Amino acid sequence: MAAARRQGPMWGQFALLLVIMLVCVFPFYWMVTTSLKTQIVALEAPPVWVFEPTLANYREALFEDGVLRTLINSLVIAICTTGLALILGVPAAFALARFEFRGKKDLWFWFITNRMVSPIVLALPFFLIARNLGLLDKHITLILIYLTFNLPIVIWIVTDQFRGIPYDLDEAARLEGASQFTIMRKICLPLAMPGVAVSAIFSFIFSWNELMFGLILTRTEAKTAPAMAVSFMEGYNLPYGKIMATSTLIVIPVLIFALLASKQLVRGLTMGAVK
Amino acid sequence: MKLKSLFASTAIAAMLATGALADSHGWSLKKAAEPYAGTTVDVVFLLRPGYEAIEAMLPAFEEETGIKINIIKHPYENALGEQVRDFVAGGDLDIALIDLVWIGNFAENEWILPLADVQAKFPDAVDPDLDIDDFFPLVLNAFGGWNDTIYGLPFDNYSGLLFYNRCMLEEAGLDGPPKTWADLKDVYGPALTKDGKYAFALQSKRNETQSADSFARMLWPFGGSFLNAEFKSNLLSEESQAGLKFRQDLMQYMPDGIVAYDHAETVNGFAQGDVAMITEWSAFYSTVVSPETSTVADCVEIAPEPMGPAGRKPALGGFSLAVASQADEAEQAAAYLFIQWATSKANAREYLERGGVPARQSVYQEDGLEEFKFVPALVESWQDGVPEFRPRFAEWPEITEIVQEWGTKIMLGEVTTEGGAEEIGTRMEAVLEAAGYYSGDKPLAQ
Amino acid sequence: MRGRVSRKTIFGFIGPAVIGLAVVGIAPLLYALWTSLHFFNLTKLRQVEFIGLKNYLTVLTDEVFWQAMGRTFLLLGTALPLQLAFGLIIALVLHQPGLTLLKTLTRLSLVLPMATTYAVVGLLGQVMFNQKFGVVNQLLGGADINWIGDPDNAFLMIIFWDVWQWTPFVALVLLAGLSMVPGEIEEAARLETSSRWTVLRHVQLPFLLPGLVAVLILRTADTLKLFDMVFTLTRGGPGSSTEFISLLIQRVGFRAFDQGLASAQAVILLIITIILAQIYIRVFYKEVN
Repeated sequence: MAAARRQGPMWGQFALLLVIMLVCVFPFYWMVTTSLKTQIVALEAPPVWVFEPTLANYREALFEDGVLRTLINSLVIAICTTGLALILGVPAAFALARFEFRGKKDLWFWFITNRMVSPIVLALPFFLIARNLGLLDKHITLILIYLTFNLPIVIWIVTDQFRGIPYDLDEAARLEGASQFTIMRKICLPLAMPGVAVSAIFSFIFSWNELMFGLILTRTEAKTAPAMAVSFMEGYNLPYGKIMATSTLIVIPVLIFALLASKQLVRGLTMGAVK
Repeated sequence: MKLKSLFASTAIAAMLATGALADSHGWSLKKAAEPYAGTTVDVVFLLRPGYEAIEAMLPAFEEETGIKINIIKHPYENALGEQVRDFVAGGDLDIALIDLVWIGNFAENEWILPLADVQAKFPDAVDPDLDIDDFFPLVLNAFGGWNDTIYGLPFDNYSGLLFYNRCMLEEAGLDGPPKTWADLKDVYGPALTKDGKYAFALQSKRNETQSADSFARMLWPFGGSFLNAEFKSNLLSEESQAGLKFRQDLMQYMPDGIVAYDHAETVNGFAQGDVAMITEWSAFYSTVVSPETSTVADCVEIAPEPMGPAGRKPALGGFSLAVASQADEAEQAAAYLFIQWATSKANAREYLERGGVPARQSVYQEDGLEEFKFVPALVESWQDGVPEFRPRFAEWPEITEIVQEWGTKIMLGEVTTEGGAEEIGTRMEAVLEAAGYYSGDKPLAQ
Repeated sequence: MRGRVSRKTIFGFIGPAVIGLAVVGIAPLLYALWTSLHFFNLTKLRQVEFIGLKNYLTVLTDEVFWQAMGRTFLLLGTALPLQLAFGLIIALVLHQPGLTLLKTLTRLSLVLPMATTYAVVGLLGQVMFNQKFGVVNQLLGGADINWIGDPDNAFLMIIFWDVWQWTPFVALVLLAGLSMVPGEIEEAARLETSSRWTVLRHVQLPFLLPGLVAVLILRTADTLKLFDMVFTLTRGGPGSSTEFISLLIQRVGFRAFDQGLASAQAVILLIITIILAQIYIRVFYKEVN
């Protein structure tokens, strides 16, 4: 009896889960298959599901159009900016979580507000400043400007994480004469590691995916992969296969990364977002 | 023996093509370039056939001169912004790629140098065979000239042409292409729009396509224009309104959602046999006749654009290359040598055969051009046209945004042709007022 | 005693971050502020002049600006409820016991849309929603819907992609909230009432609230920032039907080159953002904590 009653909703659940998965994954399936089509096949109406795949789009994108180099640029920039955001952000988060001082709330609020500033506000001034300093088309420029959204993420998540660590631990350490820095490094940081990891994952993903600054501040040397994908969109001719091949090349690494880190990512949502 | 002479003659031909052979004046590219070997020249290119053509020819130039051409590729819609930012910031570009509507802007900002100044500065770089009169005068003045001064040499050149699908027209019992816009709408429209096929498609996406390919294309043949002699809006005139209303009427014979059609969608529609006629740039010829991208390659025919009550006023567009003032001496000279070489008479044929469209009159008088079906219509279109098809003054980038916004709104029926024209007019006049045209601060040049 | 440390120590910890963010965040902002008070057109730099608040006046009275603003909030107002509703359903399903493997897989697949490059989402949209060769019309049974070229449909399409990309985020946040409900409390509540709604309302909701607030803050901010996906998908068209606020500013600043006006628009957008963030954080966050 009880088993039969549970059977119904189980099936409903099963179907619902399948639908959710399908909706999530289907666009990627379509992206990858389109990337394996020639232009004529890609433009066939209605679209075909079975066709002879070709790797020509990838060959062309990677080796002729230089997508490979933009991928490397994106990787370098995302890693460096994430590292920098952690170096600057973790101590700040520690201070915000542990110390009492005037204007603390406002300071925290100011950090977080930066996460909400539309990049379009900063794009041109930053362009002109970078030009004056001779920093256009350099990796360092993007590494720095990406701090405007990475640093707030790190501070937001890690502050919450530090707050969750009981005070008794550092109290004991302080009685033994440890400096605040030692307390942070030796006692709190290991306990806050999950939060640090999560914020690193988030800032890596956000940096990897960023388009507008990449479009405006780079040209060739430091061009990022999303900026590259957009540059095929000449109104003259839309090579859909190649655009999708480039898209696949951009998205697959970050998806694999996100899947590998999915446990931390989901946990991060409990910390940064929930608390 | 025979082989040897054949080899020798091809070698000479190759040298001729790159301008390598010293001519009677003793000038040679190699010698002229000697002081500038090792210089790198930065230039923005688009992802279009004319640029691919010159890119393919480039190794010969680089080998001959030791000058390195660094090409930065951008889609058209980003090319203006990219260059403006570079020039404003005193950046690296040594050559300006100038769409005809950008020339007023670039010239007034002195981002580019007048051709004569460059030639005076580097007399040894000037090819005695430059023969500037060989360019179609209309094209040279419209693409490269501003205020009676020539800045750039025409490089990637277009005229609007009527592409039609002979097979579809014949099937519908129509003999030959429409001569007038009225015919196109009243006769060809109903006859060809059926069974999910459409008589016509007019690329109208909200970007430069809307202003140039759609809005302006319908103004001029009906006697309309953007501005009157006093530089006030002429869009509410009877003629302008006739043109805009005609465009609305014509939409019943176009595919749905034409306001989202850019060149690619329009050309695809034609190449897939869904649309019988399009008015497009000459540069698309290779796309619609290539079996790899077109299913109707054998049916493609070309004619000049139809005439309106005011005559044939085909769309005019294209790009010139000019030397940037921000470049240093060596870069300027090297840039000049490249521009001169890329647009030269000697290279025009090869450029054409590789998919470019040169603006040299001489090349079109040569034999063996039958495979380029667009040539007669192109040459006819360039005999006479409206250089200010779109005003070329510095305010165009602002005004085109206005035209794009309200032009699409008119097409979508969100405003009437009068209402939209009034909005464009008011906003356009505000821009011109601010620029000082009405106070007499600025000459009325477009 | 607790937390009292010398100023020097505090500065040592927090100074680098403040300085870093000030250099990359505040300096450009001040520059934008300066620009917004001038006639500052990139192609007319010789005519730069101080014009006071004229740009602001233009923005405040410009219907195009407010239409774009309205459109942006319309998107937020339609997409966010959908994301919350779907997200809650997904979270509740995933929270139920059973089908562990399938649920793990679902959780994994939920991560994918969130991590996808926004610009790529727009490119994908172009391919999938094409009227002729798009797969969406095919899946709708060979429908002939003009998605990209029709103002209303284009807006729906943007909503679709926004919901596709961000519902998983909402779902995972809410799921995290649900998993914080102590098991024994939930069990006890289930024994007392058979109404799922009652359990949700009285037992689970308090644990969901912090997450909901975070979602509200982040989605509002991200909608105001929304650029990449729309830029690659519709470029704001057809007409102005998908021209959201960031696209408008981009168009004025980088296509018409009126940096003065664009900066004024950006400053006003920033003020609106900060006010909203203040409200959200001060009101809701306090309540939550």
